[in-house]
Amino acid sequence: MASTNRCLASLARLSLSTSTTRSLVVSTIPKFLVPSVATPLVRYASGSGSGGMKKKAPKKKKTYKTFRSYDLSPMDQVSLCDAMRYLRAFEVGQSPSSVKYEVSIKLKTNKNGPVIRNRIRLPFPFKTDTRIAVICPEDSPLALEAQQLGAVAVGEESLFESIRQGNIPFNKLICHTDSEAALKKANIGKMLGPKGLMPSAKTKTITSDFKATIHELLGADEYRERNGVVRMAIGQLGFTPSMLSENVKKLMETVKTDINEVDDNFVKALDEVVLSTTHGPGFSLNGKFNPTDDKIKVEHLQSVM
Amino acid sequence: MPERSGRQAKFFETDQAPRRDRYQVPTPRLIQSVPGERSSSIDITMVGVIKRMNVLRSILNIRLGPGAAVLPQDVTRIHMEFAKNIEDGHMGPRKFFKENLPRLKFWNPSVPMIVNRTANQHGPSTLSLYFREGGTGATEFTMPSSSTKGHAKAPEPVEGERVVTIDMKNRRSEMILKDFMDTTGAVPVTPTPQEEAELKDLAELHKRSEIDREIGRKQQEARRREAAMLAQARSEAAALKAGD
Repeated sequence: MASTNRCLASLARLSLSTSTTRSLVVSTIPKFLVPSVATPLVRYASGSGSGGMKKKAPKKKKTYKTFRSYDLSPMDQVSLCDAMRYLRAFEVGQSPSSVKYEVSIKLKTNKNGPVIRNRIRLPFPFKTDTRIAVICPEDSPLALEAQQLGAVAVGEESLFESIRQGNIPFNKLICHTDSEAALKKANIGKMLGPKGLMPSAKTKTITSDFKATIHELLGADEYRERNGVVRMAIGQLGFTPSMLSENVKKLMETVKTDINEVDDNFVKALDEVVLSTTHGPGFSLNGKFNPTDDKIKVEHLQSVM
Repeated sequence: MPERSGRQAKFFETDQAPRRDRYQVPTPRLIQSVPGERSSSIDITMVGVIKRMNVLRSILNIRLGPGAAVLPQDVTRIHMEFAKNIEDGHMGPRKFFKENLPRLKFWNPSVPMIVNRTANQHGPSTLSLYFREGGTGATEFTMPSSSTKGHAKAPEPVEGERVVTIDMKNRRSEMILKDFMDTTGAVPVTPTPQEEAELKDLAELHKRSEIDREIGRKQQEARRREAAMLAQARSEAAALKAGD
């Protein structure tokens, strides 16, 4: 039934259609056999000549070259001691050695281009869990020396083998220049790369004088810019305001020199500095030190936590 | 956080413009997200200023509320001991520690407040208050730091010090606070008119976010329903194919 109806409908359209241009088609093929050619649906109410609603092209998302930088005027910025007062209140009753102060330095920077990355020795170091492994020829005097300096793992092929098996008992890896070729051949970049352990001359972890490097690594800390922000633990909850300010100062100085070293073709500038703790909120710092409340002295922020 | 103008040495400089004096309350907007459009292309740098400020405004709750009180000069230190979980009457002390102690610490930053949390659920739960006797000068003492492993036992009072111990077991935090205030004679902090206005703003914001959350929840539900239907249709189609 349906098929006859359709036939009738196309026949009816045929009889209504008055176009003369299509006579060519008619002459060769009966129109009702090719209804789509015979009766182009013309819609008069929709405007535009071609007929039908025009589909809007999907809106193209705007892309930015730089990371977003916010207007800081709605942000209440506080002095270091004020931030510490709040954070110490938030962290009351927590173990002072396990809770850390953290600092986030937001930069005005391009999404691509060079990133800031460096090693820093804070005036008041607090990390004691640095375990160093050294890649150097096995059973050489170098290996003995490395062990004496406190390396947890020393060797060449034995070390590579343990790394391949996923046994990584260290969090810093140094390579002696003599073993550089062996390291390249070992093909362990896949294992070490994501952990940031792969030695390279750029990070000064391929060295001929690993005595100096080990000394630098012990009690030193690394920072790097990720997504336009440098984040770093800066102290323990037990630190006094002056200790914390020394550490922050040192970090800011190093970051600033790093920024100055960046090529002028790239955008790189300091935007905001935020201090927080393990459980506390983040306080945007205004660069001042003293508490704003008259009743609070710096000494008050030094009590046992 | 009112900022007073004072000559303080800046210990670092940022390249930012000077900030406006008065923080203007941002009007919360109802942002309708497009379903299926996730923030993949948005920078994952640092959370936006307004969002962070809204979180930070909740620090009002650490300045004001039950427990916001200034202790008199003769309180030298405070020690709390209770178990990690709530069983056997340790709920009150835990709530006191979570809700009231931070406020006390904010207003009395120089008073050591040591918390000893133990694994012994049937152990005691005490609040020890140390007072200076006779209003003499500073009392010298050594104090263990807080511990979650039961290492920070309440120290013996030194010379010129007396201890008042409050048993917190099986008591509500409100009652513990009341006892605390009565024993120490602490003066509660009342909000200034400006702070009251801020509190009101904050309450309004929370009301708004409740509405927003409801909208978001509905959108998410719709998205999940659609996804589930699609998955079901796909699995059915796959089953049909396998049947052929």
